[in-house]
Amino acid sequence: MNAALIKAIALGAVAGTVAGLFGVGGGVIVVPGLVLWLFVSQREASGTSTATIVASSAAAMVAFGVGGNVDWQAAGFILIGSVVGAWGGAWIAERVNERPLAITFAVVLAVAGIRMMI
Amino acid sequence: MLEIIALIALGLFAGAIAASLGLGGGIIFVPALVVLFGFDQHIAQGTSLAVIFPTAIVATVAHARMGNVRWRLAIPIGIAGIFGAVLGAQIALRLDADLLRRMFGVFLTLLAVRMAWRAWRMNSQPETEPEPS
Repeated sequence: MNAALIKAIALGAVAGTVAGLFGVGGGVIVVPGLVLWLFVSQREASGTSTATIVASSAAAMVAFGVGGNVDWQAAGFILIGSVVGAWGGAWIAERVNERPLAITFAVVLAVAGIRMMI
Repeated sequence: MLEIIALIALGLFAGAIAASLGLGGGIIFVPALVVLFGFDQHIAQGTSLAVIFPTAIVATVAHARMGNVRWRLAIPIGIAGIFGAVLGAQIALRLDADLLRRMFGVFLTLLAVRMAWRAWRMNSQPETEPEPS
């Protein structure tokens, strides 16, 4: 086994565990892992990460679903909105300065995070 | 009815943020469902995954068409990811909802700090505006 394959397996195992533990995609781990550790370009890292999320989110979704921990109806409604939102987001990204948007959003996430901690 | 509209609005907002900041939806869905909609932590996470899965399929098709998927890496990461995801989910399902929520809060706050830090440095390159140092 070559080094890249071992790194890929380790990265997948860690990202998948985080994805299953917290109900997220795992891109927050896979993308920096690919860029910093496997020297993949940012653009290819996004695409590759997305492909890995198909597998990890499916496995975690089934595990949560079997335990009755998925609100399928709510998921359907969110999905309807997010399809349209993704379209709008690409439009916004071309017209808005990313930096203030990212900082504002980081603050919102931090507030939500602290709120959930206490 | 009101909740249906709010859920669609959450999707709209999360989809737009995800597309414009390159951020995954789960980081938005889980806290929004818990804090704003009062979902139990476990159900928020399971529901988040049920939205992420189809979204990721569509996004992968788009990325693959543009040649941005390195399958020789994606396949081993994905396979290892399946085992990791099952393990992570089993741990989550055994944890008390309050404890899991607090752990998620720590995870989210750390991500927010990292995100703010990177955004802060983003424009401190000389080409845009000189920062007082």
